Amino acid sequence: MTNRVIICICLWMFLVVTSCSFDDDKIESVSLAGGETTVEAEFSNAFQIPAPNMSMEEFDFHRQGDALFEGIFITPPAPAMGGLGPLFVQNSCASCHKKNGSAAFPLSSGDMGGVLARVSLPGHDNPYSILPVPGYGTQIQTKATFGVLPEAKLSYHTTTVEGSMMDGTKYNLRQPNFFLENFYVPFPSNAQMSIRIAPPILGLGLLEAIREEDIVAWSDPEDKDVDGISGRPNYVYDIRTKSERLGRFGWKANQSDLYNQTAQAYLEDMGVTSPFLTKDPSYGQLQHDNKDDDPEIPELTVLATTFYTQSLGVPDQRRKNDGEVIYGKKLFHFIGCQSCHKSEVKTGIHPEYSFLSNQTIHPYTDLLLHDMGEELADHRPDGKANGLEWRTPPLWGIGLREVVGGHTNYLHDGRARNVEEAILWHGGEALKSRENYKKLSKSDRQKLLLFLNSL
Amino acid sequence: MNIIKVTIFSLVLMLALSSCKDDVIDNLDNKYTDEIANTVDGVIFKTYEELDSKAGSLESNLNALSYVTTAEQLENARQAWREARIPWEQSEGFLFGPVDSKGIDPSIDSWPVNVEDLNAVLNSKDSLTKEYVDLLEGTLKGFHTIEWILFGESGDKKIEDISRREFEYLIACAKSLKGSTSQLLLEWSPSGGNFGTIVKSAGTGNNQVYPSQKSVLLEFSNGIITIADEVANGKIDEPFSNQNLLFEESRFSANSKNDFADNIRSIQNMYLGGIGKEGSGLSTIVKSKDLALDNEIRASIADAINAIEGIHGTFSEAVFNNKADVANAQKKVRDLLQLLESKLHPFLNQL
Repeated sequence: MTNRVIICICLWMFLVVTSCSFDDDKIESVSLAGGETTVEAEFSNAFQIPAPNMSMEEFDFHRQGDALFEGIFITPPAPAMGGLGPLFVQNSCASCHKKNGSAAFPLSSGDMGGVLARVSLPGHDNPYSILPVPGYGTQIQTKATFGVLPEAKLSYHTTTVEGSMMDGTKYNLRQPNFFLENFYVPFPSNAQMSIRIAPPILGLGLLEAIREEDIVAWSDPEDKDVDGISGRPNYVYDIRTKSERLGRFGWKANQSDLYNQTAQAYLEDMGVTSPFLTKDPSYGQLQHDNKDDDPEIPELTVLATTFYTQSLGVPDQRRKNDGEVIYGKKLFHFIGCQSCHKSEVKTGIHPEYSFLSNQTIHPYTDLLLHDMGEELADHRPDGKANGLEWRTPPLWGIGLREVVGGHTNYLHDGRARNVEEAILWHGGEALKSRENYKKLSKSDRQKLLLFLNSL
Repeated sequence: MNIIKVTIFSLVLMLALSSCKDDVIDNLDNKYTDEIANTVDGVIFKTYEELDSKAGSLESNLNALSYVTTAEQLENARQAWREARIPWEQSEGFLFGPVDSKGIDPSIDSWPVNVEDLNAVLNSKDSLTKEYVDLLEGTLKGFHTIEWILFGESGDKKIEDISRREFEYLIACAKSLKGSTSQLLLEWSPSGGNFGTIVKSAGTGNNQVYPSQKSVLLEFSNGIITIADEVANGKIDEPFSNQNLLFEESRFSANSKNDFADNIRSIQNMYLGGIGKEGSGLSTIVKSKDLALDNEIRASIADAINAIEGIHGTFSEAVFNNKADVANAQKKVRDLLQLLESKLHPFLNQL
């Protein structure tokens, strides 16, 4: 899928992209989505192209990570790729992040694909971590190796929420109601649950390189500027430094960096232990395998997989000189979307990889937590995020979701069936922007969507 | 009331937004309708039809094997497996669309086989039906699980070594595989998911998946680049550079060389726009503007196939005993890869 030679083509793509004309007006800016990591791609592998500005050594490491990201784990003992389970959600990274894109809303109850359930009891057992559910931990593993019972089955049913635009145009939204059943041991009735869908993984290394002081400076927890937007950073426990760090990744910014994110995914999603997380999710539970095989993958595996997620190129915005797209971008600013979906950010110095440093990028996120209203609330705290808050998801690549993954499902549980529905689910701090969107004429709404789908 | 609000909002909007440039959208002339349609119908759809047909033959042969437990019928079943493998490998040059987005690939071609769980399944008292297998992970079904049972870990399994449970499981796996290949075909069909029409209608109407014909041509070229890379730097390189057959995908059946060659034939088919023959495809577009490049690509594809088929002995043997042959095949595929990346892809991108 990738190859040393791809660097040549990516460099060529980069040259093509950089040769585009620029405009002085910031809103009409046509600068590159991912800085020097930008690639030009409008096909199904658009999220799988390596950043073109890596060194050859880094590219070789990216290749190793690529193979590991695709690698399928099987039940131990096995001569290769052992370590799966006994409890798991999926058996490879790519099973949830197909072609590095986001998972789709599940077609039916039972096989949830890249959708999972986090659970906890009310309260905290320390300032950064939630109370695990006895017998279950903090994530439900809906699959198991042969002879072991999955912890539970995740199911859902949906209802319809009706609404209308200010011009009278009616719309329907899909409201999912997820629930757990078929428990392997009793499940406490007061447990809290949060549904999360696997997000796309493009551009993550750049987000890791944004300066912490910039993210904190964007926050306004007391809303001192009285714009209705607060924004709070999450602070979480880092498994390597064993200290509090700013949270950046995950739907509630509950992972400090991509190493933490990767190691946690190996553990909770695949049941694979690694050097900093040596107890598999069934540890201390009835179905623990009692095998003396931890850690099941070496440090190098976690590092290479982490690097793969750090070093993917960002597809550039398409049709950015189209007048309607430019108009749509102005509307995006005008109705207030950019308050949280920051359109232009400069990265600082990445602690490990210089190709991610000092890049002017267009991720459309502030990496902060925002109250998104009751309709999206999961009522389950995560780190310092409360049950109403979600981290602003990046929007780059949003218009390529369909060609990459065959769907246009958005938001933390995939409920939105298209970009417009995602806008219409916004509440809380984003309620004003949603209402502004509803006031737009049909033509202007289409232009705004045209802009978003060009990202 | 709402009308008044909308009017006020629109007035504010008019004042707030300066006039925008009305640049020309990247409209394409849709000059490549025939090449795209022919590639979809004449290569992709036909390959999936053949796959579904051969999966049906495999199912029939495995059914027969459960009744006629002879060495001859075992060989018939193995041959049916090899023949079903051909269209699958020839489809790996276009692993985009439903095969991936609908999660079909893992049910057909997951690897490695989860031997630990497979033995547990066979030793259980579970009823081994298609419906049962459908719900299992991909590493417990599909081509490689059937291969593991049919050929054995070392490729020397005898008919008397196959247990009754294994016969049952083979049939259930074959039915499940057939279900997956039929689903894949349906996803591309007008009567099903109709993905073929989505590809063919690129650049027309409100096609959100492929807004231009160029995006489809680049999808095609990216697909064949991906499989060239996979063959050179994955399928050949991993067992060869590690000198470890655990990384060889079809080693139980000693079918790896055929897998590799058919992967390159997948490139050939997509490039020529026909299965094993000249059609209207990428080549038609290339040769109309750059005959030398067209000849170079055709020759490079042929060189790669010849080099793979020229490896002496099985791939498992050659990894250790015929390293020059393997290295030569790998080089020829890498040469093809470089040609596709450095010349074909930029050529199409500039259309």
